[in-house]
Amino acid sequence: MAGLSFDNYRRNKSLEASGVLPPKTTSTGTTIVGCKFNGGVILSADTRATAGMVVADKNCLKLHRLAPNIWCAGAGTASDNDKVTELESSQLEIHSQWTGRAPRVVTALTHLKQHLFKYQGHVGAYLIIAGVDVTGSHLFSLHAHGSTDVGPYLALGSGSMAALSVLESKWKEDLTKEEAMELCSEAIMAGVFNDLASGSNVDLCVIEKGKPSRLHRGYKQPNQRLQKQRNYNFDIGTTSYFEAGSEVFYISKQSDLETSAMEVDQVS
Amino acid sequence: MSNPSEINGGSAVAMIGKDCVAIACDLRLGLQSVTVSGDFEKIFQYGGNFVAFTGLATDVQTVSTELRQKHALYEMVEERSMEPNTAAHLVSSMLYSRRFAPWFVGPLVAGINSTTGEPYVCSFDSIGSMDVSHDFVVTGTATNQLYGMAESLYEKDMSPEQLFETISQTLLCAADRDAITGSGGLVYVIEKNGKVTKKLLKSRQD
Amino acid sequence: MADRYSFSLTTFSPNGKLIQIEYALQAVNAGVTSVGIKAQNGVVLATEKKVMSQLVDGDSLTKISQITPDVGMVYSGMGPDFRVLVDKARKNAHSNYKMIYQEYPPTRVVVQDIARTVQEATQAGGVRPYGVSLLVAGYDDNHKFGLYQIDPSGSYYPWKATAIGKGSSSAKTFLEKRWNEELELEDAIHITLLTLKESIEGEMTGDNVEICVVGLPNDDMLGFEGVPNVQGPRFRTLSSQEIQDRLDSL
Repeated sequence: MAGLSFDNYRRNKSLEASGVLPPKTTSTGTTIVGCKFNGGVILSADTRATAGMVVADKNCLKLHRLAPNIWCAGAGTASDNDKVTELESSQLEIHSQWTGRAPRVVTALTHLKQHLFKYQGHVGAYLIIAGVDVTGSHLFSLHAHGSTDVGPYLALGSGSMAALSVLESKWKEDLTKEEAMELCSEAIMAGVFNDLASGSNVDLCVIEKGKPSRLHRGYKQPNQRLQKQRNYNFDIGTTSYFEAGSEVFYISKQSDLETSAMEVDQVS
Repeated sequence: MSNPSEINGGSAVAMIGKDCVAIACDLRLGLQSVTVSGDFEKIFQYGGNFVAFTGLATDVQTVSTELRQKHALYEMVEERSMEPNTAAHLVSSMLYSRRFAPWFVGPLVAGINSTTGEPYVCSFDSIGSMDVSHDFVVTGTATNQLYGMAESLYEKDMSPEQLFETISQTLLCAADRDAITGSGGLVYVIEKNGKVTKKLLKSRQD
Repeated sequence: MADRYSFSLTTFSPNGKLIQIEYALQAVNAGVTSVGIKAQNGVVLATEKKVMSQLVDGDSLTKISQITPDVGMVYSGMGPDFRVLVDKARKNAHSNYKMIYQEYPPTRVVVQDIARTVQEATQAGGVRPYGVSLLVAGYDDNHKFGLYQIDPSGSYYPWKATAIGKGSSSAKTFLEKRWNEELELEDAIHITLLTLKESIEGEMTGDNVEICVVGLPNDDMLGFEGVPNVQGPRFRTLSSQEIQDRLDSL
C-alpha cells in the first residue's frame, strides 16, 4: 500500500465534533471456520455482507487467495479484508518469485500480523489463514490487533459461537477430507441459520499437500430464492419522460479515436 | 446534521438486462430538508463506463473529477478503453487510499465489457468495498427503499426497453418514500453495440 | 581533453553524445548473445548459459526471469544490473498497477516502466547507467504477443525478432532471412536454436542453453482450481530435457 492519505482527516474530525457520525462501512459480520484433516486443511465461509441491518451482498466471496497454496477467510470490515489480502498476495507473489519457492504459511501470517499490529486494530481484518507448505499443513487465526492463534479447528466472526458449537461437539482427530468438508460446511450452516449477520451460501476451499487447491464456490446453497409467482413487468411506455433533455448517442471506443502511431525511438 | 452522507440527499441504482445495463439517479441537491437544486446529475460518463456518485455533494464533485483525470490518463498511456471491471477496481483503490479519512460517497459503476460483451454493475461503500452483482446494485439515502423495489420488480434478461421501465419505476417509487431523494430522475440505458439512451424522467417535485 | 566528457554521465560531449551510455552499450555488446522471436501463437526468448568453469553448478543459475505471469525478460550484459531491474519491474507491476486495477500490466506498460528506470540512471547524479540490454516478451489481451528491446539509454523498440549482445548483428542478419509472418511457436524455438548455434562456441546442450516461452496459458501451473476467469501463466521455462529434445531433432 503506497501510504494511506489522511488529507480529509481533520475535516472529517471537525465534522464529527459537530455531531456528524462516520459513514457505515460494509461489514462481513460473518461465520468463517478452518479445520485440519489428514493431508491438508479446509477453509469455509458464509456469503452474506451487511451494512448495519441491511444485507449489502447476498453472495460475496470471503475466501481469499494469498498464494496458490495459502488461502484465508476474512471477517470484519469488508474492504479491509479485501485490501489487506490483495496486498499480502502481491507481497507473497514477489517473495516467491524472488526465492524461487512456494511461500510458507508462517510468512503470510507474520507479514499480516505486523501490518495489522501497525494499524492498532483500525484495519478491521479478522482472518483465518490456512495452507500447506514445505513444513506441512497449517491453520492459524489472526485478530485485527495482531494477535494470532494456532489450532486444529478455528472459527471467527459474529457466527463463530454457532460454528464452534458444531466444531466442539463433532470434531475429532484424524478426519478424512470428506469428513472435514462435511464438518466445516455444517459449522458454517450453524452460523448461516443462527447468526443474523451470516447467511446465504457456504463457500469452501480444500488445500491439500501436492495437489492444486480447490475452491468450491457455493458448496452448499440452502437459501436459493424461489421462482417468483408473478412478475411486475410494466408496459413499455409507462414511464413518462421529457423529450428535451433526453437523447440517444453512441459510446466512442478509444481505439476508434484518431490516435497517432505508437511513439517509438529510431533504431540506431 | 448527523451523517455527512445524508446532508445533500440523493440515490442511484443500476441494473443488468440482456446485453444491456441501465443506471439511474435522482436529480435533487438539498441542504438537509431545503431543496437547493433539481438538476444535480450524479451520473458521470468515463468512456463506456457510467459511474454514479451519491453522498456528500462536495465529495461527489471532487471524486468524480479525480476519476476523470485517472481515466483520461489510463486511456492515453494504454491506448485502449477502460473496461468496467477495471474502472471498478480503480474506484475501489481510490476510496481505500483514504481508508482513515474517507470521501463520503457511495459510487456505482455500470458498463459493458467491450471484449466479452458482459454487462457489469458494481457498488461500493465509502472505503471501497466492492459488491459486484449479477442483477442490480443501489446506493444513496433511499437505499432501503431501492432494495425493496428492485428485489420485487427485477427480472432476468430484460430488453433495453423493459429495463428502462423497471429501473425508472424502481427509482421513482423509492424516491416517493425518501424525502431527500427526488426532484426528477435521470436514466442511462447502455447497449452492447455502444448505443446509449439517456432519458430525463418526469417526476414529483415535492 | 577530449575524454573529459567520458567521466560525467550527465554532461553532453560537444558532438552531442553521452559517452557513458555508449560505454554501457559496449558492455552489452561484450555480453552473451540473447535472442527473441515473436511467432503467431507465442514469443520465445533464449540465451546461452555460459559457465566459466567446470566447477560451477549451473543448475540453479537462470538468466531469463518471469516478471508477471504473462511477461518475462532476458538480458545481455551485466547479470547483477539485470537482477536489480527484474526486482524493480516485479515490484512496479504490483504496486503501480495490480494493486490499483487488480490485473497485471500489459507488456508495453511493463516495458515503459523498466525503460523509465533505465533512463533515470542516465540523468540522475551519482549513478551509472545500467549495463544491460533487455528483451521483454509478453502477452496481453489487447495487444496480444509482444517482444521489446530496452537499451541502457532507456530507449525501447518493438520487434518481430531480434538479438542483443556479442553476436547480435550476425544473429539479426540470420533472423531477417528466417523470420516470416506464418511462424508458429515451435518454428520460432527452432530458429532460436539455429541462431544461437552460430554464436555458441562448442557443443550446444540442454544445459548451456536457456529458453523461455510466452505461449498458451498453462492452467496446470496455476496451483488452484475452481476460480472462474483465471488463466494459468503464459510464461514458461523449458526444462533442459525439453531443450535437449529439440536440439536432437535440429
